[in-house]
Amino acid sequence: MTTQTEERTGFRRTLVRVLAMQIATLLLLGALQAYFTP
Amino acid sequence: MHPVNWLIVVGWIGYVVVHGVRRARGTKELEGYLLANRSLPWWAVGLSVMATQLSAVTMIGTTGQGATDGMRFIQFYFGLPLAMVILGVTLVPFLHRAKVYTAYEYLERRFDAKTRSLTAFLFLLSRGMSCGTIIAAPAVVFSAIFGWSMTTSVAIIGVPTVIYTMIGGVQAVTWVDVKQMMLIVGALVAIVVVLLVQLPVSPVDALRVAGAAGRLRVFDFTPSLDNTYTFWSGVIGGTFLMLSYFGTDQSQVQRYLSARSVDEARSSLLMSAYWKIPLQALVLLVGVLVFTFYLFTNPPLLFNPAHDRLVRERQPAAYAQLESRYHAELTARDLAARDLAAAPPDERPRAVRRFQQREASTSSIRTEALRLAESATGQPSRDVNYIIPRFVLDHLPIGLAGIFIAAILAAAMNAIAAELTSLATASVIDFYRRWVRADGPDEHFLKVTRVSLVIWGLFACVVATFAANLGSLIEVVNRFGSFFYGSILGVFLLAMIPRARGTGAFVGLIAGMAAVAAVNFGAPSVSFLWHNVVGAVTVVIVGVVLSGRRAHTA
Repeated sequence: MTTQTEERTGFRRTLVRVLAMQIATLLLLGALQAYFTP
Repeated sequence: MHPVNWLIVVGWIGYVVVHGVRRARGTKELEGYLLANRSLPWWAVGLSVMATQLSAVTMIGTTGQGATDGMRFIQFYFGLPLAMVILGVTLVPFLHRAKVYTAYEYLERRFDAKTRSLTAFLFLLSRGMSCGTIIAAPAVVFSAIFGWSMTTSVAIIGVPTVIYTMIGGVQAVTWVDVKQMMLIVGALVAIVVVLLVQLPVSPVDALRVAGAAGRLRVFDFTPSLDNTYTFWSGVIGGTFLMLSYFGTDQSQVQRYLSARSVDEARSSLLMSAYWKIPLQALVLLVGVLVFTFYLFTNPPLLFNPAHDRLVRERQPAAYAQLESRYHAELTARDLAARDLAAAPPDERPRAVRRFQQREASTSSIRTEALRLAESATGQPSRDVNYIIPRFVLDHLPIGLAGIFIAAILAAAMNAIAAELTSLATASVIDFYRRWVRADGPDEHFLKVTRVSLVIWGLFACVVATFAANLGSLIEVVNRFGSFFYGSILGVFLLAMIPRARGTGAFVGLIAGMAAVAAVNFGAPSVSFLWHNVVGAVTVVIVGVVLSGRRAHTA
């Protein structure tokens, strides 16, 4: 049970990190498009 | 090409082969040869996973696409990070703990032998053909640029790869991948720096001009099924494609099965989740900057030198006329681009419009030239794959050009090495050892695997030589491959549903492929990314329904 709980917590933490990185990348690309595309 | 550049290319190929062969130590047993004794660290496996996906097509085709179409291709990868996380908690622990050699071996434990064999057969069929096209794409470009015969180009790419892969197995492939990735990323960063230095305008002004030409447009939120590169097809279709590719394709599964533990296997995939989109952005940025470079330095009318020569010979008058119009337009576009770069904010809108008009006129002359090339040569004239190699050879400093050509070869070799090891592994483990000879010493299976790898290597080289002559075969094979991806993913998803049974999975797999074929032929305009969703969902629904009935009647 402990292992499963640990795995679930680990997964949630990883998911948050990956999503944060993904959102940061998309925001950067969006900013690039918004600033330079007329 | 300058002798120094040749020296770098030949030196790198030699280094790769020697390094790969040296890594062959400890590969006396089957598990050592096929899975590096499940001993590799996560970062090496992670780099190998990324290297496997980055083929020569990425180095020449995607960069070329950046130059002609801009950054929007990146949307194709938007589903990848989520797919990596899902795989990290679903298939990766399943497959790693099952101690299998191939992903398909697991299907027999979960379902039955026929489901395993059909899935493995579909993998061999699609990957066997695509392996040839992976060699063919760069070989065609090298033939046209260096004037080599197709056989020579194929041999230069294929032979060293077969040698180090056959001798060293997965251990050699992974460690060579690590070195090749360093070369590839280093070459991409170096080319960006050189481009920024060589441009006559500041980096910000260069990006402003590229933006005015639409090259920095990343997002397309149009809810269209026909357009391959939209935000929605990338996030939804892309997630299914990446789940299938990284979760069920032996060329990828074999990479993370060689990791030390489940956690290290997960971490290796997460490396792609973090870095794939930034890496792909770097690749496309190279193309965008090459486009900007050619605004201030006259580009050739046709980037394919073989076509350029043939059109000059066969249609001299028409081509000369086009060239003269092209050069006049280029001068006007150059001026408009410089005006835009120097324009103060209040005059920018007018400068943008003037530049966009000039850019449209230049593009239309290029389109006319490509049509002329098509009628003069009788071959498809799309020259997007030639833009970057021509730029590299014509404008990069001595040394760096050699490094970039070596990086293109490295990318080709990485992708082919992974394909060959996975094809040989599936042939031996899922067919030879399953149906022909179940027991025997490791030396015997090791020998059969090496023979199988050489046969697949020869097959890929032969397919590559003919694929070039058949022209559109590459596209046919890619489309053909997309028939299977979603359906194979569906079988693995089904494996995680407790009530699913073997016959349900087998019939579901066939139904999935039939559904994809129906969509492909019934609505050919629907982008292939959506095929993955159709295939996977059909397999799961049919599989669950059939398994449920069977369980009920039993």
